[in-house]
Amino acid sequence: MGWFILLNDYILKYADGAAQHTEIRAQQAFNRAVTLVGGNLVSNTRTRTGGVCARVYKNGLWGFSSKGEYNEESVRAVLEAARDNALFMDRKLSLGKPPIQTAPPVQYETTLTFKDVEQKTLIDYASAVDNYIKTKYPGLASRTVSVRSGCIEKILHTDSGSFAHQLFPRTYYIISMAAETADGDTVELFDIIGGGYGSFCEFYDDPMQHTDRIDALYEELMQKKEGIFPEAGMCDCIIGSAVAGMVAHEAVGHTVEADLVLSGSVAASNLNKQVASPIVNMVDFAHTALGKPAPLPVYVDDEGTQCEDSVLIKDGILVGYMNNLESAAHFGVKPCGNARAYGFADEPIIRMRNTAVLPGKDKLEDMIASVENGYYLTRTANGQADTTGEFMFGVCMGYEIKNGKLGRALRDTTISGVAFNMLKTVDMLSDTIEWDFAGFCGKKQPMTVSMGGPAIKCKVNIGGR
Amino acid sequence: MNKLKATAEYVLRALKNAGADHAQCSVSSGKKEEFNIDAGEFSLLRSVFNSGVSMKVLKDGKMGQTFINSLEEQDIDAAALECVQSAEASVPDESYCIASLTENADFEDGTTHPDRDVFFDRVREFLADIGKEFPSIMVEQIIAEYTEGISVLANTNGVLYTQKNANYSVGAMYSAHNGDESTSFNSFGIDYTDPDQRIMDMGDSREMFARCEAELGMRPLEGKFEGVALFAPGCLDSMLSTVLDNFCSDSVIVEGTSPWKNAIGTKVADESFTLRVISHDDRVVCGERVTDDGYISEDFDIIKDGILQDFCLSEYAARKTGLTRAPSTSGCIGVTPGKIMLAELIDSIEKGILVCRFSGGEPATNGDFSGVAKNSFYIENGRIAHPVSETMISGNLAAMLKNVVGISEEVSCDGTCVLPYVAFGGITVSGG
Repeated sequence: MGWFILLNDYILKYADGAAQHTEIRAQQAFNRAVTLVGGNLVSNTRTRTGGVCARVYKNGLWGFSSKGEYNEESVRAVLEAARDNALFMDRKLSLGKPPIQTAPPVQYETTLTFKDVEQKTLIDYASAVDNYIKTKYPGLASRTVSVRSGCIEKILHTDSGSFAHQLFPRTYYIISMAAETADGDTVELFDIIGGGYGSFCEFYDDPMQHTDRIDALYEELMQKKEGIFPEAGMCDCIIGSAVAGMVAHEAVGHTVEADLVLSGSVAASNLNKQVASPIVNMVDFAHTALGKPAPLPVYVDDEGTQCEDSVLIKDGILVGYMNNLESAAHFGVKPCGNARAYGFADEPIIRMRNTAVLPGKDKLEDMIASVENGYYLTRTANGQADTTGEFMFGVCMGYEIKNGKLGRALRDTTISGVAFNMLKTVDMLSDTIEWDFAGFCGKKQPMTVSMGGPAIKCKVNIGGR
Repeated sequence: MNKLKATAEYVLRALKNAGADHAQCSVSSGKKEEFNIDAGEFSLLRSVFNSGVSMKVLKDGKMGQTFINSLEEQDIDAAALECVQSAEASVPDESYCIASLTENADFEDGTTHPDRDVFFDRVREFLADIGKEFPSIMVEQIIAEYTEGISVLANTNGVLYTQKNANYSVGAMYSAHNGDESTSFNSFGIDYTDPDQRIMDMGDSREMFARCEAELGMRPLEGKFEGVALFAPGCLDSMLSTVLDNFCSDSVIVEGTSPWKNAIGTKVADESFTLRVISHDDRVVCGERVTDDGYISEDFDIIKDGILQDFCLSEYAARKTGLTRAPSTSGCIGVTPGKIMLAELIDSIEKGILVCRFSGGEPATNGDFSGVAKNSFYIENGRIAHPVSETMISGNLAAMLKNVVGISEEVSCDGTCVLPYVAFGGITVSGG
C-alpha cells in the first residue's frame, strides 16, 4: 500500500498559488468477473486500473485532469492541467465567485485489507453452483451464474488538510434461471446470492452454502411460469422490502440530490413541506445504519468532507437534500459528504450512499391481510426516476392479493407513480428492513450504492399486458 | 502510432512468453476534453488522458481475458502472466477463438487538431441560443466533449489493424418550467466533426427543445385503450436496441430463449420495415471499422423488408451455435424511411400516443414490455391533443414489429443512428 504515500509531498510541491482549492486523488481498482451461461464460461476476466487526478477551484469554476499513471511526473502533470483548466474557465467566464467553503479537515485511515483470491477459486465456485442447478433442475430453459469480486482503493489529499485512505471491496454472485411456459413464452428470475462489503473469501467457502436460496428462486420461477398479468391501473400494493430500496433511491433519492434540485427538480419547491405520510422517514446513511455497519460504508467523501447521515424525510416532511461543498454553501447547510467519484478519471459529483426508507411497526402478514384487492410485489429488475418525481420500477415477481390472502403469481410488469403523491398514500410499513448492496447508480458516472427499506403499503399505478 | 504498434508487439510477446498458445490484444491511447454545464451554468473543464491494454489468450483450448490501463512494460508483464493464469484456471471450449487473418488495414476518421477556444465559444453560443429561443427550458446538464484516440489491434494470427479517430459530441439534459410546473426531463446527444457549425442547427436540437416546451400543461390520460404508439427517433433507438438484445444477441441465441431463434429467413416484421447496421453511413460519425472480435466491420441487414436476415452474434456465439458471425458489432442502426410525411402519419392516427421517451422495466424474454411514456403526447382524430403525464404503455416487441402502421419520410441523424418516426398498432395505453 506504499504506492500512495508520497501524494502529500507532491501536493505541497506542485499545488499552485493561483488555485483557491486543490484536491488530489490516487486510485486503483481490481476486479474479477466469471460468468457461466448454460455451463459455458463466457466471461473470465481480470481488470486492474489506476491513476491519479486533480481538481482545482478558481472563482466559482473547476478544472480537472487525470492520467492513468501514478508517479511524480503524472501527479505534476494533472495538477498543472487542472490548474490550467480552472484558469481557462475563469478567463473565459470571469464569474468572480468567492473561494469555496471547505469542510473542517479530516484524517481517515482504513483498517481494512482486501484479500484477493485466484481466478480459479471463482471459476470453481461458479461451476459447482452451476452444476447444482443443472443437476437438480434439468428442465430449465436457461441458467446463468455470474460471480463478481473487486475492490476500489482511494487516497485523497486536499490543500485544506483533509486526508483519507479508504477501501471499497464488494463481492457477490448472481444466478438467473429461465423456464418455458405452456404457451411457449419464457419467464425469467434472478437473485443476488450472499456477498457484501468484503472480499470473496469472507463470504463464500462452500458452493452449497446457499442452495436454499437457489431452491427458493426455482420455486418462485415455477409459480411465475403459471403466473398472470395484473390488471392495469391504480391499485393497492404492498411494495416488498426487496423493492422498497427503489422507492428510496429512484423515486425520492434522485429528486433530493442538490444538483438536481438546483436544476428544477420537484423537491425545490417542497423543502419543509409534507411530502409523505407522517409514518415515512428516509435517510441516506454514511457508514452506520440503524446501529449496524451500512452495506457500503463511506467515511470521507472525495472532496475531503467527513461523512454523516443525510436526513431527507422526517415524519413525512422533506427536511434536507444531499449536498456537495458548493450546494451546501448555496443552501446554507452543513455538507454531509455526498460528493463521490467512481473512477480515478471521474470528478466528484453528488451521489447517494446507503439510502433507505426506515422501517415502521407493522407485521408483513397484517399488511397483506389488510388488502382486499391488490398486489404484493416482491422482486424488481430495474428502476428509473424523473426530476418531476415520476418513477418507474420493473417488477419481475409478485402475487395478487385477494381478500387479504396471497393468490396467483404475476408475470413481469411495471409500476409507476409520482413519489410525493405515492408516499402520501403510505399507511403501513413493515418492521424489518432489507438492503440491496449490489447496485450501480448511473448519473454521468457509475457509482456503487446500496438501498433499502421495509415493505410499504401504498397506492401505485401498475402496468398490465 | 508506431509506439503503440511496438507496445502491441510487446504484449503479444509477453503473452506467448507467459505460455499462451494464441493471443490477441488491443492497445489504445487517447485524450478527452470536456466542458460541463450544470443547472444552466458552466461548472468544469475536464481533461482526461487514457491508455489501455486488453488481452485475450487461449491455452489448451481455454480462455482468459485481462484489462489494464497502463502501457508500462512491467505492468504488461504482470498482466500477461495473470491473463494466462486465468486461462489455465478455465475450462476448455472449442468455440473460443481469436480473429483469423483476412486483410490488415489502417483506418482514420473524424476531425483533428481541436481548438479549445472555438469549441468553448460554440458551447457558450448553444447555451445562449437555448435561452433566447426557448425561454421555458431549464438546462439541467450539458456535457460537451472532444475525444481523440489511437488504437492497435493485433494477434498471433498476424492480424494488425490501426485506428485513429476524433470527434466532438454534445449531450444535453433539460426540462421546461412554468412557475411550479415542470415537464419530465429529456435528453439528446449529437456526435459531429465540424466545429464551425452552430450546435443548435445540428441534429434535432431545435425540435427537441420546442417539443419539450410543448409538454407544459401535461395531464394524465383517463382510462385505458388499445391504439397506436408513434415512436420518435430517439425513443425508437432504445426500443430497437432492446429488440436486438432480447431477440438477436449472444446470450439469448446461445441459451435458445430468443423467440426468433429459428426465424432466420422468415417474416418477423411488417414488410415495410428494414433495420440495418450502418456504421459506414456518411451520416455516422467515427463509426466502427473493426469489430469487437477483430475483423473489418461491414454494414449488414438485420431485417430486410420484414424478413430476418441475421443475428448480432460474436464469433464465439456463432461457433457455439453453428450460425454466422455478425459482420459488425456496432450499435449504429438505421431504419429505412417511409414515403409519408410525419404530419400525414399523425393525420392517419385515430387514437394513439406520440412516445418521445420510454421509461420501462427490462422487457421479458418473450418481448413483453410495459413502462411509462415520458415526454409524450396524446393523439386523437389525427391531431396531437395534449401532452400526457402518468401514462403507461404496454405491448410485445415481436408483435409490435409485425404491426407497423406507418414510417415517416423524415429521418433524424444524431451522428450514431439514422431513424424515422415509426407508428406501431396494438399498443395498450393506460392513464393514471
